[in-house]
Amino acid sequence: MNIVVCIKQVPDVTEADLKINKDGDDIVKDDLEMVINEWDNYAVEEAVRIKERHGGKIIVVTLGDEDSEDILRRALAMGADEAIRIDEEGFEGSDAKGISLALYHAIRDLDFDLILTGAQSSDVAWGQVGVLLAQMLNIPYATLAMGIEIREEKAVVKRELESNMFERVELSLPALITIQTGINEPRYVSIMGIRRVRRLKIEEKDMDDLEISQDSVGSSGSIIESKRVSFPLEGEGAEILTGSMDEICERLTQIIREKGGM
Amino acid sequence: MIPQREIFWNIPWVWPFYLLSFISVFIFFYGLLKHILFWKEGIKKQRIRLLLKGIKDVVIDGIFAKRIFKGDISAGIMHLSLFWGFFGLFLGTILLALDHYLISFLKGKPYLLFSCTLELFGLMLIYGLVTAFVRRYIQRIKRLENKTEDLIVILWLLLIAITGFLLEGVRVAYQVPAWGKWSFVGFIIGNIFSRQTALEIYPFIWWTHVLLSLSLISAIPFSKLFHIMGSPISIYLNSEPLQITPAEDREGRFFYLKDLVQLDVCTRCGRCVEVCPSNGVGEPFSPRDILFMLKERLFLHRDKEFDPGLIWYCTTCGACLEVCPIYVAPFRIIRQLRSQEIEDGTRVPPIMIQTLERLYKYNNPWLSTKKKRAEWAKDMDITNITKAKERGLMCYFVGCTTSHDIRAQEIARSFSNILKRCGIRFGILGKKEPCCGDIARRLGEDGLFEDQMEDCLSLFEEYEIKEIVTSSPHCFYTMRQEYPALKKGYALSVIHYSMLLESLIKDGKLRFEKELRLKVTYHDPCYLGRHNGIFDAPRNVIKAIPGIELIEMEHNRENSLCCGGGGGRMWQEELDVELKMSERRIMEAHNTGAEIVITCCPLCLIMLEDARKTKELEGSIKVMDLSELVLMAINRRRS
Amino acid sequence: MPGILVLVEGRKGELRDISFEMLNLANRIAKQEDLSVHALLLESEEKGFLDKLISLCNKIIKISAPSLRDYSPEPYIKAIISAVEAVSPDIIMIGHTSLGMDLGPALSEALSIPLITDCIDVRFKDNRLYASRQIYGGKIHSELLIKAHNKYIVTIRPGTFEPVYELGMSADIMEIQMPEWDVPAKRRFLEYIEERIDDIDINSADILVSIGRGIGKPENIPVVQRFADEIGALLSCSRPVADKGWLPKSRQVGTSGKIVKPKIYIALGISGAFQHQVGMKNSKTIIAVNKDPKAPIFNIAHYGVVADMFQVLPVLEEKLKKDA
Repeated sequence: MNIVVCIKQVPDVTEADLKINKDGDDIVKDDLEMVINEWDNYAVEEAVRIKERHGGKIIVVTLGDEDSEDILRRALAMGADEAIRIDEEGFEGSDAKGISLALYHAIRDLDFDLILTGAQSSDVAWGQVGVLLAQMLNIPYATLAMGIEIREEKAVVKRELESNMFERVELSLPALITIQTGINEPRYVSIMGIRRVRRLKIEEKDMDDLEISQDSVGSSGSIIESKRVSFPLEGEGAEILTGSMDEICERLTQIIREKGGM
Repeated sequence: MIPQREIFWNIPWVWPFYLLSFISVFIFFYGLLKHILFWKEGIKKQRIRLLLKGIKDVVIDGIFAKRIFKGDISAGIMHLSLFWGFFGLFLGTILLALDHYLISFLKGKPYLLFSCTLELFGLMLIYGLVTAFVRRYIQRIKRLENKTEDLIVILWLLLIAITGFLLEGVRVAYQVPAWGKWSFVGFIIGNIFSRQTALEIYPFIWWTHVLLSLSLISAIPFSKLFHIMGSPISIYLNSEPLQITPAEDREGRFFYLKDLVQLDVCTRCGRCVEVCPSNGVGEPFSPRDILFMLKERLFLHRDKEFDPGLIWYCTTCGACLEVCPIYVAPFRIIRQLRSQEIEDGTRVPPIMIQTLERLYKYNNPWLSTKKKRAEWAKDMDITNITKAKERGLMCYFVGCTTSHDIRAQEIARSFSNILKRCGIRFGILGKKEPCCGDIARRLGEDGLFEDQMEDCLSLFEEYEIKEIVTSSPHCFYTMRQEYPALKKGYALSVIHYSMLLESLIKDGKLRFEKELRLKVTYHDPCYLGRHNGIFDAPRNVIKAIPGIELIEMEHNRENSLCCGGGGGRMWQEELDVELKMSERRIMEAHNTGAEIVITCCPLCLIMLEDARKTKELEGSIKVMDLSELVLMAINRRRS
Repeated sequence: MPGILVLVEGRKGELRDISFEMLNLANRIAKQEDLSVHALLLESEEKGFLDKLISLCNKIIKISAPSLRDYSPEPYIKAIISAVEAVSPDIIMIGHTSLGMDLGPALSEALSIPLITDCIDVRFKDNRLYASRQIYGGKIHSELLIKAHNKYIVTIRPGTFEPVYELGMSADIMEIQMPEWDVPAKRRFLEYIEERIDDIDINSADILVSIGRGIGKPENIPVVQRFADEIGALLSCSRPVADKGWLPKSRQVGTSGKIVKPKIYIALGISGAFQHQVGMKNSKTIIAVNKDPKAPIFNIAHYGVVADMFQVLPVLEEKLKKDA
């Protein structure tokens, strides 16, 4: 089972104080730690498990700058065999389709049975790249996988619908599957593990290697004409309680008793 | 007739004896070799040196078995008589052989003395064995787990001892030597046999005795009796200073020679289980079981079923090492096992993964940001060494927990205030302070630990820091003991703040003007007490405050009960236990009648504070850090 | 005919709320820009949905075929293409559901139409599409202007708009034949699986105490459990807590968990990502406690406390005990 996994590096915003850049079209990322997109981490783990069960090779691919080599090495330490980095020069400002095009050109000549990607990314959350890539490659796909079984030449995917409802679909291989969080428990990657793969060569490709025209990607290829970001309106809903902890809890007690009919 | 012994008397064919001896000794050495080869599978790149302390320990703890008496005098007596009895008889047999094959010296008075002494040894042996039997099967002492092997060994040795006396009795019954009374036990036994019977049964008893003895010798490496050879080695290796091999040089091995010897030689006495705080509150963890599981898998190559989650229970408190008669340190072996699991990665609990990843990215296990590290010092006007021009300042290394946990931040504030009041110049590293590496190291992430150590050391070098005081015993231990084990030429002076306070009091720089009438008790943090031997400094500080009455808890100093926060336990999944370790400890503190329990470790502080709440003792006892107490005492001056 | 084509979704014999939410939005845009609203109903057999939709749009396009019984992208795309050819809409509106996420990009590729996913608002003026989205886990709001195109596809976030059930319109019904095709499907629907986890049903609680990532570590859960027990509440959580296995999945509140409407919902350490908000925003009273004053949960809570939940809980518990 040869598997290609597409991964993305995103900023870790869980506890950060975000700031908007001066152009007003994105956040300031300099202060933020870059990590592997959580959905993609589950995808890498899933690929490693499939490889452990069925054998084969895993190639991880990302579109990013030099720093994104970190996530490639992490994936190699987890059990991937090869890594490809598409340098982001020329692709800045790409929308989902632009990214998918880049991945498409890098992947189409590879020998694969399965492509795994995260269902969405934690930064812009388009949730489109996986499916677009499948369409470009003209292979069957399924999204939001919570379980994958390989039976003969087919993949049976358990898809998450809503509220404890799932469905099972069968895909003929080669196929693309997008992974939902919680499908597995990703293994720990130790520092020693990362050090050991430090010397593995990461294949680099750029726009010219991929023979993509500039206007089909980047801002020129993007469907977005302009983008403005802001902080969501604050305090629009809640009445923020103030005072000492004692006073606040006194008020809360009142509210709970009134509204809860305790 | 001169008193002497003819060893092959009445034995017509002696050659089978030599054959059997040869076979038995061969099997013995074969078995011994297997053990040695196993021990050699440890991490290479270690130095074993000849140390006087080691030899001293072997004599005191090996031959005099001093540690076996600890906490269980009857065990000490039992083992000593058994051991000396056995060894005495063994030596006796050797002397007889020497006497027979080399120089005949056991004649006359020497022989009488010899004979009499052997009687005593024989009796000691039997006494020891009978006591052992009683302890295991009649008293049913809890910590002893009774396996078939234990019963067999006792009975076997008993049989050897009895047949030995019987043999002697039968011989004396026949020979009736003039010096027979010197073999007094045999003499008494011999009376029941007629001369004729004696002559006839002697060879049978002799061969029985020989077979039992020779097979015992062969069985030594294959049974718990191997501890005869192994215990002195374990005792000796304990005197070796801490050695840490860089993770890159481990070459796929995870245990040191000492670890392999120890897990091999453990006799399952159960003292470690008795004092283990995790086991003590009913958690499914037992240091003995883990060691035994490792022995089964690594040495005996049996694929034993084992729950990998269990290894994360250990708090590394060191209580096990404190009581082990042969200095086995299960918590160290478990740490090594953790480093193996970390390398594998698939069985690491998700909560640990999250903690380690946070440590890696943000230098602390609490928050996903580096920015809040010096928040506690916000309004305090403390020199930031990384921004000051001055070099060579004493560095107060705050530590991750003290920096980030809201309750623990009080330690940093109190201690800084004390230093300022005493006019001591110091600085902190602010947001740049890395993690000392303790958590990574305890969890087995040696690669991360080394990286963090390098970060610390290069920072210290950059700002020419030579003196460090820390408020966390964990940072203290790591920097004081583990950094030098990895880094040659390490020249940092690292002290725990209680030691600094003690010296400030001695120098008169820290004075308490007014009384502070309080009844307090003191909780020895594992990493300050057991792991670093600092028991008195905090106590001296407390006692220096006039009006304080210090009451000791039942488990104090080396026997202190772990709060349950170390070894990564702070990040262990919640378990459904009747009682938590921290709760057990806070109740013990409460039972002293003290108003406050003082500690000087941020983890202990948090754990005990939590337990205080969950055990609903908020009205009955307070938890304070030593620095908070001291600050309270110096503030008395004003009121 | 310029207009908005809304793909309605059903589940277990009922039209899902998202359909009615989208029709609300579609009609709002249609009124402003003088457009028509077409509801696209794909089903395998008559389910009685027509009555529910007839007052909500100008035209109902109905395509029936056995291959449309359970969602699969290939037949759905074929059907939608026919509908698009028939009415040539400006905007195709689909729910950002498990169906929409699966279908949307494939539809976009097949029709070469730009797709904007997970919209919380859509404006259409002079044939230009403006979309509002949330990024970085709901911490940042993003306004987009899409490049001019003759058609657009948008997926709408469930729970953003109020569902409407009656607008007093009278829709025409247009039936389209499902085109035939005999390319073997590379993807085959097998079965549905409903997972019932034997645990307390959080829907039965009057008061829910809900924990999010702010709980820090599972060791802190018993303290909250105790608080919940004290006030007779059940414990629930947001997705990250369930994903990590700290609470069973049956306690998860949100789009992929349960939708709850208790009398009081106390959110502790929950940032309030939209997927969670959908699950609880209809609670009668929402109290949120979070260290981060910018947490999105404060937008929908009725009362908020900006503090560490572990500082609030003990004091609150004490007071509630005293009152009891």
